[in-house]
Amino acid sequence: MSKLSVEAKVGFFVVIGILLLGYMSMKVGKFSFKRGSGQDISVFFDSASGLSKDVPVEIAGVEVGRVRKISLKNGKALVTLRINPDIKLRKDVKAAMRTRGILGDKYVELIPGSLAAPLIKAGEQIVQAAPVTDMNTLMNILGEVAMNVKKLTKSLANVFAGEKGEASLRSIMDNTNEMVEALNRTVQANNKDFSAIIANFTSFSERLKDIGDANSDDIRDIVANMRAASQRMESLVAGINDITAKINEGKGSIGKLVNDKETIDSLNRSLAALQNITDKINRGEGTIGKLINDEETVDNMNFALAGINDYIKKQDTFRTYFDYRGEYLFDSEETKSYVSLRIQPREDKYYLLQVIDDPRGRETVKDTTRTIDGVTTTEHKVKVDRDELKFSAQIAKRYYDLGLRGGIFESTGGVGIDYYFFKDRLTLSLEAFDFDPDRNAHLKFKADFKPVNHIYISSGFDDFISDEGRESFFIGAGISFADEDIKTFLSDIPIPMN
Amino acid sequence: MIKLVKVSKSFKGQKVLDNLDLIVEPEKINIIIGRSGSGKSVLLKHIIGLIRPDSGQIFVDGIDITKINEKTFNEMRKKFGMLFQEAALFDSMTVGENVAFPIKEHRHLSQKKVDEIVNEKLIQVGLTNVAHKMPSELSGGMKKRVGLARAIALDPEIILFDEPTTGLDPIMCSAINNLIVQTQEHTKATCIVISHDIESTFKIAHKVAMLYHGKIIEEGIPGEVKVSGNPVVRQFIEGRQIEQSPKQK
Amino acid sequence: MIRIFESAGRPFVAFVEEFGRILLLLISATAWLFRPPFRFRVVLKQMEFVGVKSITVVLITGAFTGMVLALQTYHGFRMFGGEGLVGSTLTLAITRELGPVFTALMVTGRAGSAMAAEIGTMKVTEQIDALYTMSVSPVQFLIMPRIVAGILMLPVLTVISDFIGIVGGYFVGVKLLNINSGIFMARIVEIVDLDDIFNGLIKSACFGLILALVGCYKGFYTTGGAEGVGKATTQSVVYASVAILISDYFLTSVMFR
Repeated sequence: MSKLSVEAKVGFFVVIGILLLGYMSMKVGKFSFKRGSGQDISVFFDSASGLSKDVPVEIAGVEVGRVRKISLKNGKALVTLRINPDIKLRKDVKAAMRTRGILGDKYVELIPGSLAAPLIKAGEQIVQAAPVTDMNTLMNILGEVAMNVKKLTKSLANVFAGEKGEASLRSIMDNTNEMVEALNRTVQANNKDFSAIIANFTSFSERLKDIGDANSDDIRDIVANMRAASQRMESLVAGINDITAKINEGKGSIGKLVNDKETIDSLNRSLAALQNITDKINRGEGTIGKLINDEETVDNMNFALAGINDYIKKQDTFRTYFDYRGEYLFDSEETKSYVSLRIQPREDKYYLLQVIDDPRGRETVKDTTRTIDGVTTTEHKVKVDRDELKFSAQIAKRYYDLGLRGGIFESTGGVGIDYYFFKDRLTLSLEAFDFDPDRNAHLKFKADFKPVNHIYISSGFDDFISDEGRESFFIGAGISFADEDIKTFLSDIPIPMN
Repeated sequence: MIKLVKVSKSFKGQKVLDNLDLIVEPEKINIIIGRSGSGKSVLLKHIIGLIRPDSGQIFVDGIDITKINEKTFNEMRKKFGMLFQEAALFDSMTVGENVAFPIKEHRHLSQKKVDEIVNEKLIQVGLTNVAHKMPSELSGGMKKRVGLARAIALDPEIILFDEPTTGLDPIMCSAINNLIVQTQEHTKATCIVISHDIESTFKIAHKVAMLYHGKIIEEGIPGEVKVSGNPVVRQFIEGRQIEQSPKQK
Repeated sequence: MIRIFESAGRPFVAFVEEFGRILLLLISATAWLFRPPFRFRVVLKQMEFVGVKSITVVLITGAFTGMVLALQTYHGFRMFGGEGLVGSTLTLAITRELGPVFTALMVTGRAGSAMAAEIGTMKVTEQIDALYTMSVSPVQFLIMPRIVAGILMLPVLTVISDFIGIVGGYFVGVKLLNINSGIFMARIVEIVDLDDIFNGLIKSACFGLILALVGCYKGFYTTGGAEGVGKATTQSVVYASVAILISDYFLTSVMFR
């Protein structure tokens, strides 16, 4: 430990602090660092009582966003939800307010819709899910049910219980009794007629037997006809058999029609009807069904779509920035200029190309000492090549609020670390480069503040552990434009029309 | 050339300097004598601007330093070197760093060059192999030598000595006195020494001035002062009790 | 009659005077920050002294603060079965208040007092005069670096103290008192906001300014030899601690409304 230089100790110490801060802010601010991005959707609630800004929005208990705004519109609560960009919602998604825990924290739950529905776009409105029975309504409904049950049982009791009920029951029994007796009496009274009817039936069946005997040949003909018909039926079945075999092999235009939903449906129906006729058709139905209903196919399709989506998104986040910054160095009272091109393929990664005009240029220091009669005079010569431009080429990667850079810094190798605050409005950076064994490395600390888009101010210390007296405080400013801004800017310029 | 004209200074109503006039001989050893607490240190601190007078003028190379601002004064001070009573070495730095301090502050030289100058200055005050030591490891006399090495590090035109021999044994006293003479001869600087050590004063001074009750009551070459008719000066030189006790600081 | 007013008013006038001198010192130190030469090495040395060398004491204080908080809040929350809230409660207490304040008080005791003693000694042994004679501003050479180091290092120390405090609380809560670790962490994540940590850090930067400024001021105006140095050292600790606690109230009332 004692062999470490002061710079190393302090640097190490500060880096530990920043790492711990980064770790804690990542843990604690789990979603807040993405507060800036995501899509807004809105939903009307009958009541947003207990809901507040920044409470979580969840799907199946997983936080997918935050409540961004609550306002009143047409007597209802209009709640704007900011959903994390990696969450895909369907148009038929529903929102509901839920309560969690004993303390009654409110949050918004999204109930996903079917996979078939189209994706929702930012700014769209979704509907409120059927209000979930909270304890109060549940109690109310239960109360009503209990009332009804009570009424029902009461009237039932009225019907069956008491003298009146008993009386009516008894009268029903009496009536039934009377009816049975009457039936009995009628049967007995008409005994003769019944005998006659039975005798008629007997003679009719005898006559029928006679007819049968006489026409037995005719009946035989009918049976033969029926047999022929059933044979024809058999050949028809064979024909169908043939067709289905062909479908199975994919022959004919039916194969092409497989993708048509209506065809599939009717085919499905046909196949279902034919199922009872042959086993072969039964097998055929299974194969096609598999093609249509199999989960894996659907998943494969979805995966492919997600891939395409990702690609489109990637194109979307690709940015190029042009940037100029000037730094006024108090020590040398001169201005240092940087012109940079920042290519940012993804939000968390960029490449930086920079040309730097350093007024101090490249310095060569030469000391000549002469001693005449014990008097020492020292000549201090500094050779400066002012015309030489320096360049930087760096690659940067960002982890949450922490950015790391490496590559060429002002024509020498170096590394840098950035920390972003307040939605990237404030950036603290520490750069170390020009590692020369004969002198201290070039360390630069700066703070960039961006009060409005495209313009930032900057301040810091340059070369602050220099052992050649080059340390300097500086202030600066810069402008930065993305390619899109330039496009907009150019298109806003009126073009003279001839 | 240093000249003080009608300089007055009071601390909490007590007059320490009272319309004091003094001309310092350039490129010579000027010794201001006086009793302890007679305001000698205050006078010295006026010359280097650590204390500003209530009234009067102090000219250094024709410029009235009571009128100039701090920034100009800082430029002015580079002409001075001062050896403090207790040497006032920086405790947190090694001897080498102490001597190197003014050089690093005011000249942009490579570390190697600085080290060379530090060594040269330490040898000049008769010290070797102490550069890496801390001031607390040094004896009083050695501290004063280092203090002197630091004072002459920038080859000043004017060197101020605040009681250089106080608290040292007689051998060390004469060694320091020799060092003052050597340094003056070597650098041709204007030396202003304040002291109450009569013996060494007459040994090394080119000019002696006596401060008493805020005024210079006698000045001249040592031979003149030695035979001064002023009773206060006589008493001081002869080491007798002065009837009227001097005002305390 | 006048005498009564006089004797009553004198301490007040002295206080106002002292406060004014402290402010002037701060203004002058700020001005020197932007004037060459820039003494980054000196600042770095002070950063090492204030920051790196305070790490042990801050670690111990932080860890035990977190541990004792876990112990205390556990007994309270257990009464209504809210043990899961121990983590978030102690994290909030540490990040908002205890981390910054305890760190500042410990650093005041260690580094603030050392500043007063060191500068005070330099004052009484004429080292500060020596700086003047070498055209070096003592405000820039001695005071500005200490104030900068205080402002920069206290937040770093506080982050470390916050972290170790939460780790200590986690240890006691989860390992010794058997609170479910998932719930412990989940409650922290749920309830503690990034702003809680950042506001605590802003506070600690203010405390760093106060302790360095008071320590330097007391040292810079030391008179009366070794005894004066001792007095200045004691006073610097007392004044800085009181100033930190008072300013903490006002900073809190501004930040956590």
